[in-house]
Amino acid sequence: MTRPRFSTLRRALVAAGLATASLGALQAQAPQNIVFWYHFDNPEQTKVMDGLVADFQAKNPGIKVDAQNIPWNNYYDRLFTAVAGGKSPDVAMVKLQQQAQLVEMGALEPIDARVAAWPGRNDLGDNLLNINKGHDGKQYYLPLQYVVIYLYYRADLFQKAGLQPPATCEAFLDAAKKLTVPAAQNGGTPQYGFGMRGGRGGQDNWGPFVLSQVAMTPAELGSPKAVAANQFYVDLMRSHKVVPPSAPNDGFNEIINGFKSGQTAMIFHHIGSSKTMHDTHGDKVSAVPVPACGGKRWTSFGDESNAMFKQSRNKDAAWKWMSYLSEREGNVKFVGATGQMTVTRSGVPQVSFQPRFAKATADSLPFAAILPPVPQTSDFVSNVWPTNMQRALNGEVTSAQMMEAIAKHYATK
Amino acid sequence: MSARRRFDALPYVLVSPAVLATLVLVFAPMLQAAWTSLYHHILWKPRDVRFIGLDNYLAVAQDPVAWSSLGRTVMWIGLTVPLQLALGLATALLLNQRFRWRGLARSLILIPWALPSVVIALMWAWMYQPQVGLFNDLLLRLGLVTEAVPWLAQPGTALYAIIVALVWQGFPFFAIMILAGLQTIPASLYEAAAVDGATPWQQFREVTLPGLKGVIVTAVMLRLIWVANSIDVILVMTGGGPGYATHTLPLYAFKRTYGSMDFGYGTALACTFSLLLLGLIVLYLRRAGRDIRS
Repeated sequence: MTRPRFSTLRRALVAAGLATASLGALQAQAPQNIVFWYHFDNPEQTKVMDGLVADFQAKNPGIKVDAQNIPWNNYYDRLFTAVAGGKSPDVAMVKLQQQAQLVEMGALEPIDARVAAWPGRNDLGDNLLNINKGHDGKQYYLPLQYVVIYLYYRADLFQKAGLQPPATCEAFLDAAKKLTVPAAQNGGTPQYGFGMRGGRGGQDNWGPFVLSQVAMTPAELGSPKAVAANQFYVDLMRSHKVVPPSAPNDGFNEIINGFKSGQTAMIFHHIGSSKTMHDTHGDKVSAVPVPACGGKRWTSFGDESNAMFKQSRNKDAAWKWMSYLSEREGNVKFVGATGQMTVTRSGVPQVSFQPRFAKATADSLPFAAILPPVPQTSDFVSNVWPTNMQRALNGEVTSAQMMEAIAKHYATK
Repeated sequence: MSARRRFDALPYVLVSPAVLATLVLVFAPMLQAAWTSLYHHILWKPRDVRFIGLDNYLAVAQDPVAWSSLGRTVMWIGLTVPLQLALGLATALLLNQRFRWRGLARSLILIPWALPSVVIALMWAWMYQPQVGLFNDLLLRLGLVTEAVPWLAQPGTALYAIIVALVWQGFPFFAIMILAGLQTIPASLYEAAAVDGATPWQQFREVTLPGLKGVIVTAVMLRLIWVANSIDVILVMTGGGPGYATHTLPLYAFKRTYGSMDFGYGTALACTFSLLLLGLIVLYLRRAGRDIRS
């Protein structure tokens, strides 16, 4: 009786041991799956992402990356909803203007310790980690690419009109007036001095005129100085009529296409569009930093980073993937698709831009800034600014009412 | 007894999957939305979610943007649906005539209805474009305007411009429904009317329209609901702008919910609109249904 019982017990123990060992082996062999969200505009860029994933997986056989391209128009709607629903990706591309809200939601995983131990940190561009720090002092974002808004102008039209690229707001207005030509004098289609972006995203174009003169605090945003600076911008359309009449609704596509088609002579955008500008206009297009208004300059630092989400079950694998994208090899390939600036110092010589556009970017860096990293900024960008700007451009509200609405928005807790 | 009980249960068993699916997919989200609307619930402030009763509804009642959006919604429905009906009726009467290539014409008329809303919105936005758009080019060539009109960028024209696009998109639905209805009216009624000396207009009023009443009532009800809730074309053409000029109430609810991430207020707007629309549909069916019965 004893023998069989012992035998049974021994068999059970052996089986349990084997099962545990097999499970351990299976766990060791099972790939760690991570979900990555990004937003690319076209299939060519997506092919680059597929190549990056393949390269990474070849080097990290235990990790499988499911890279999902999410449409830009509702990227953040989906991201916030996914976080709230407990289904966030492991890693996602993110911008600073959403950081405060994501931190408030408790969605992000701090990466200070991982960054400190990461050899790639010494290759990151100056100050990039600091710029991307959370308002609680912790590091959540790992820089991926950046751009700075500058002024594209039609060098041929400026030369023909005997103008220099504008260095001040006043010179900008003067050039815009001289380069605005009625249809009758321009072969049947009108030409406008400035391609204004009155729709969503246009706060980057408005900033050089207003945020150069006032800080983004409720007190300063409602000040007479801010109202006057905003009035100058509104008057480009309402009084001087140097922008296309469709300006209140114009967004990224409209201003880029307007400039490429010769409809406008100046627009604000970044180096991401330099290739298409050069392909279209060749040497007839050039770039300089945004003009100084009230003696000061302000331009938008356009950031893009990767963040790791707290809900990730494979944080080590997630870190490997996001750090790969911010190291030279991965980062140079990545910005090769997006046309933006690499965050790695060693990658700079490998990314080729027309020198005049690279110079305009470098010259703009000293005064490039971000919008306040507070929760209100996200709604300011998506709703408050475009709605009020459009109403001001159409004369439905005054400059003072618009600035008051923005000040009130930033004063609301 | 046992066999009879099984027989009685069968209908319930058969309909239960559909009822269950409706409960889970339709009623549960509706109840969830109604429940959310009673909360202060901003998505990025998960630590500040709290029950506030009807405060969101009181805020809706005092929100000038909600009221102006409701006014535009009334105009949006009030112009779009009758214009689609009129155009659809005229088209159906034409397509009911005998002519060469009638089959082809009946197929082609479906194109606007078959196209995705986003394609339609982009297409019309380009036609309205001030610099390269078809409309401004035509108007300038005909000398009707001296400079291009920014149809979608002016508060005075933007909503009407989108209504035209939506009328174009939706009239084939009425045309096809009414055409099907026309074919159910017996030819003998027209022959009898003709024998009695009825003019074509009298035949239309006394034979065609009464024969189409059932179809028209149903089609109008469906379009009322679809047009009222339709935000995709507006979103692509103007995003609700310039300013609030093309905000309808459902679009405002959508923007407050997903743009501002204010789920409590956004769902309160959506629930308010759902109740208003439900009231409109009940009134409409009572009135139109009574006409049909009589």
